[in-house]
Amino acid sequence: MNRVQNTKLVLWLIAGFAAAVGITRFVFGLGVTTNLTDATPWGLWIGFDVMGGVALASGGFVLTAIVYIMKREKYHGLVRPAVLTAFLGYIAVVLGLLFDLGLPWNIWHMMIYWNPHSPLFEVGWCVMLYTTVLLLEFSPVPLESTSRYARVRTFLLKFRFPFVMLGIMLSTLHQSSLGSLFLIMPFKLHPLWYSNILPIHFFLSAIALGLMMVSLESLVSHWLYRRKAATHLVAGLGKAAVWVLSVYLVVKLLDIAISGKFGLIFDGSWESFLFIAELLISIIIPLLIFAVPKSRNSLAGQGIGSFMVVFGLVFNRINVGGLTMLRATGDVYIPSWTEFAISAGVVSTAALVFLFAVEKFNIWEKRPIDPQTLPDTMPSFDRASEVWLGVPAVAARTKYSLAFILSLSIGFAIMPGSKIQSQGVAEVTAQKARGGDVLFIDGNRDGYGVMFKHTDHTKRLENAQSCVKCHHMNKPLDQQSGCYECHRDMYSSSDVFNHDWHSDYSGSNIACGQCHSAGEERRAESAKKCDACHTDLIPEGTLIEVKSNMASSYTDAMHSMCLDCHTQKAPEVAERINLTLCTTCHEAAPPDYLKSEVGESLRGPYFNHVVIPGLPERTEGD
Amino acid sequence: MSKAILTDITKCIGCLECVKVCKNTYGLEYDVPRTWQKNDGLSAQNWTAVLQKPGKKYIRKQCRHCLEPACVTVCPVGALHKTAEGAVMYDSDKCLGCRYCMMACPYGIPRYDWDKPVPYIRKCIMCYPKIKNGEQPACTAACPTEATIFGERDALIAEAHKRIKETPGKYIDKVWGEHEIGGTSVLYLSDIDLGFLSYQPHLGNTPLPNRTEPAMKAVPIAFAGMGGLMYGLNWIIRRRMDKQGKKENEE
Repeated sequence: MNRVQNTKLVLWLIAGFAAAVGITRFVFGLGVTTNLTDATPWGLWIGFDVMGGVALASGGFVLTAIVYIMKREKYHGLVRPAVLTAFLGYIAVVLGLLFDLGLPWNIWHMMIYWNPHSPLFEVGWCVMLYTTVLLLEFSPVPLESTSRYARVRTFLLKFRFPFVMLGIMLSTLHQSSLGSLFLIMPFKLHPLWYSNILPIHFFLSAIALGLMMVSLESLVSHWLYRRKAATHLVAGLGKAAVWVLSVYLVVKLLDIAISGKFGLIFDGSWESFLFIAELLISIIIPLLIFAVPKSRNSLAGQGIGSFMVVFGLVFNRINVGGLTMLRATGDVYIPSWTEFAISAGVVSTAALVFLFAVEKFNIWEKRPIDPQTLPDTMPSFDRASEVWLGVPAVAARTKYSLAFILSLSIGFAIMPGSKIQSQGVAEVTAQKARGGDVLFIDGNRDGYGVMFKHTDHTKRLENAQSCVKCHHMNKPLDQQSGCYECHRDMYSSSDVFNHDWHSDYSGSNIACGQCHSAGEERRAESAKKCDACHTDLIPEGTLIEVKSNMASSYTDAMHSMCLDCHTQKAPEVAERINLTLCTTCHEAAPPDYLKSEVGESLRGPYFNHVVIPGLPERTEGD
Repeated sequence: MSKAILTDITKCIGCLECVKVCKNTYGLEYDVPRTWQKNDGLSAQNWTAVLQKPGKKYIRKQCRHCLEPACVTVCPVGALHKTAEGAVMYDSDKCLGCRYCMMACPYGIPRYDWDKPVPYIRKCIMCYPKIKNGEQPACTAACPTEATIFGERDALIAEAHKRIKETPGKYIDKVWGEHEIGGTSVLYLSDIDLGFLSYQPHLGNTPLPNRTEPAMKAVPIAFAGMGGLMYGLNWIIRRRMDKQGKKENEE
């Protein structure tokens, strides 16, 4: 096996995984396939795929500027891979964005509905135009493989200088405008990252990132195809990066000092450590590496230095893109594995296309070859066993397809089915009410509970006969079931019916007819309801009605029971008019003997996710 | 002509009639806590919510309908717009789902249909169809204690200041939303600090769109400037190279 094939195999595996996630995301929506929330609406896909992706693709405009504007012909060999990376990078950005957008099929709306005040509108247009420019810049390369389009190619080459100019100008705009996106969030973004000149920070760092991305890519692809690394070129780019990084560092620190935020760097908060780490990784250490001639010219120094800049500056985009908003939003967002899979999948796909292109077209001076596609590296016919082994290239492709399909199915298999089925409803186990004569009903133990005066209610409802008004039967063979035992979840219904137990008890298979009527599909919905057999389940004079064989949520069970009665009683006596107000129950003071247990935690109603009583009945005149 | 809503925190009894009528008016679905919701009670299915703070304080939360809304400024397709009546409206036909409005809102109001394959932004629309017909929004009409009232913005601000003056010591001497980030169409009178309604307790009076405006205005300058710079640089370098070439030829 060789490096190229192994790498391709891994890339295909990741792509297959991402495809499974992608399909699930479009079928079930963003909520159940990502960890995005109302407090954190932008996550990994914006922070890494879009903001990081655009920044990573900056090598295109930086290299064309060096070669065509500044006429540094030495770097000519790096232009083609840089432009190709930029083009694929932008395609990857758009691809990632399609997953992130709620209504991706409306992405073209940006062309017809204009809002020139929006930085995102500007970024969108620039990305659209620049991707087109990159395509036009790059297309002479694949066109040179055939003479048929020679005239098109010459025509395109005539416009190379204007294309390069336009590309640089458009890049200036959107690289900086990505920073402008966050100017409107001064209250969310941490002050160490927020700045009025955020666009300038972004532009400067994009130049540095462009230089280092081209370097890193050159080193990696040379390693991959076992060629000698172009260290003299990378050293030159590193020298340029020293200048750019120095300017970026000075601008960044001056900006912080002038706006009086310098103390924040050393205030010991996790953000301050993050900031220092980012500064060291993305600027200071690489600056030192590339400033010293010895490390600048060594392969290890170049590899480490360029990787640090690339990693550090993408990290910067992620920090600005949401990580440092954590303190303001109070929402801890950790991307789900599905989000990581999509991000990795998009990058892998772009890398596969890149490898395809370098093997098919003249991206580098010498076209590299996937060793196994050479007919003479492997016999297609095994002489000893007389078995035809197939064309090696086809064999490799079969392997890739297999990897893709395999990871696709693994992806589907490990999809978090429970989260998808529950539609993101949080499971909150209901717990026992505490107390005696006065009960503290607080199913989810968040301290926002109800003081229920049990004795008072029994007295009011004619003592002993009153039990059935609110309580229905215990669980079979149980004397005192708590409500929470069947009404298990705070907000969703739970299935409490034990089918095996019922069928065994009534005589296994022959007993189906006792619950399921003949000629009908045997389903839970069509079966007899519980109270058909358990006649004592619903005693006379009760307020409870059985709607299905599911136990309703704890909140519903409590609310419907109390409120049914309260709404009945409210009109009867004038002073009870408050009975239907939430505050009547949710604000009662705790009795003395419960104070030690409940203490300060009692805080009356917490109106989150409030279940509005009687909601389905629309008021008249709607 | 700009309408507004004034909510007097001291008058609210927490009966949730506003929440109920809002849900009924717009046919919002029954809602249970989802993993992606914030714990302030607002969600794609709850456009207004009543928060509770210690000491029987009820604060109704809803879209503030800013006079210079950040969400309207940032929407790349102009799916959000501020109407003359005061409501900030959302056009789902234009929306592409980028959620920049959710990121930009200093109050964290817009919510998303995270559970739907075709999701939209959901938030209070100040009952725009009603106020256009001269009616008042459903929530203010439903309030039994007149804690939340509807009217002309100027008149409501005057009314708020009148209440502060008439009962000294009852309120904090501030009308929330009068000047904050350029003013909002949903105003609050309160006896407790309402800083918790936004991401930072003090938002200042600068409208948020003013912060992106300089950058957006610099766009054409940066475009032309970079073009000029690059062309100039290229011209100088080419000239120098030509001279060098000539010299070499002469030698």
